[in-house]
Amino acid sequence: MITLEMDGVEADYCLACRGIWLDSGELEQLLQDTERARRLLESFQPAQGLQEEPRPCPICRKKMEKVSVGPQSCLVTLDRCPKGHGLWFDRGELEIVLQLGRFDPEEKIPAFLGKMFTSPQTKDNSDNP
Amino acid sequence: MWEQIQINKRNSILLLTGMALFLMALGYVLGSAIGGPKAGWLGIIIATAVWFILTIISFTSGDQILLASSRAVPVDANVHPQLFNVVEEMSIAAGLPKIPKIYIINDQAPNAFATGRSPQTASVAATAGLLARLNRDELQGVMAHEISHIVHRDILYVTLAGVMLGSIVLLSQTFLRGAYYSSLSNRRYSSGGRQSSGGQALFFVLAVVLSILAPLFAQLFYFALSRRREYLADAGAVRLTRYPEGLASALEKISSTGISMESANAVTAPMYIVNPFRGKNAARLLSTHPPVEERIRILRRMSQGISYRDYEESYRQVTNRSGIIPPSALKDEPAAPRTPSVPPAPPPNPFQVNRQIGDLMRKVNGFTFLPCSCGITMKIPPNFPAPKAQCPRCGQIHTLRSQ
Repeated sequence: MITLEMDGVEADYCLACRGIWLDSGELEQLLQDTERARRLLESFQPAQGLQEEPRPCPICRKKMEKVSVGPQSCLVTLDRCPKGHGLWFDRGELEIVLQLGRFDPEEKIPAFLGKMFTSPQTKDNSDNP
Repeated sequence: MWEQIQINKRNSILLLTGMALFLMALGYVLGSAIGGPKAGWLGIIIATAVWFILTIISFTSGDQILLASSRAVPVDANVHPQLFNVVEEMSIAAGLPKIPKIYIINDQAPNAFATGRSPQTASVAATAGLLARLNRDELQGVMAHEISHIVHRDILYVTLAGVMLGSIVLLSQTFLRGAYYSSLSNRRYSSGGRQSSGGQALFFVLAVVLSILAPLFAQLFYFALSRRREYLADAGAVRLTRYPEGLASALEKISSTGISMESANAVTAPMYIVNPFRGKNAARLLSTHPPVEERIRILRRMSQGISYRDYEESYRQVTNRSGIIPPSALKDEPAAPRTPSVPPAPPPNPFQVNRQIGDLMRKVNGFTFLPCSCGITMKIPPNFPAPKAQCPRCGQIHTLRSQ
């Protein structure tokens, strides 16, 4: 996993699976609004009946818990460190979460992520999961 | 300042002698309790050997032990050029024979300390939190304070005391645990025969005595590292930097951050420029560090000049106590303070500070920073498996520096 920084915003990014890790506090920084970030974080519910293997937290290596967010029809499952070190978003999940919840009406984050990951290769791969 | 240097050398010898006597007494008590009066002499011989080893260890690698237990990492100039520049500048100003080795501690809380046996083998350590928060003038003030500790030979005494007292604390804990577990096993498995009760009673008494002595020794250590030492290092720093406001503002920033240092402990705490503990932990160490507000007030009152005499004057006015500077130092030449070298700037926001701390720690831990022409910066960990990395934004392929 490498760290990417652009215009003062930072995200950890896995070159192999294109997932994104946000340290605690980084979501607030992305949203540039602690209140909105708090609302988003509070809307997370523990995910139920999932067979997915738990991922280890990249910081403390503890098993992360699965949390889901969004309406029933379009539930997204994320991994959250039980010790509060941060959040793991599989490829594309961060954009979906933020668009779903309309947490970012000014579209700062999609704009930022779009700016960050607009390589032709990234686009090609996202067409065939 | 030669008086202070003499005091530190004398204290170091006293400390070594005290430790030798303590260990010999302990060896005699242990030996004679186990094998009679003749074995008491054997105990003394063993204790002397232990003392000899401890002394050699503290002289040869005491600084390394303290640095390692504070999780300080040696760095080169690429990691933080400004820190190197400031330390070099202040070492030359202080006339040190050699520029101290520079370490960075991975800690959010701002703080710094110096250690080593002599000015030739000294080291200075600063936390990432300090480097991210201070401007150049403030950093210069802190480093000048640490270099004054080196010049005054405070570091030798602190290093010796740190290792000796650290080992006493370790010994007492070993005895306490030993006593605890042997009492447990006795209750559970022994039939209560009388043969072993003498040895165990001794173990218990020793454990109790040591557990009382260890914190007492620690207190002694704190008192010996008197407030005077810190005031003198402040006065020395002002003379080196010719800018009292730099150190005053640094002390203000350090003490106003409400984060306790994770990498400090009771033994290393007195080494730091400001008490590394906050909240309920802070009170028990009050005796080691003079109140920061008082140190700041003394520094801010020094608008006329920056000599030891000016510090002495300001100290008297602020504290209403008699002087603190040794008489020989009061004869130094008067000098006027300089103007700030950095224009006043608004305080950085917490996100910026955290970003800087993070970047600093990545550099310390050997990350490669690859700025891509598309505007993204890639920060690659040292264990990155591939020799090349592709920018996820523009697709450009960057070659990592070969190992």
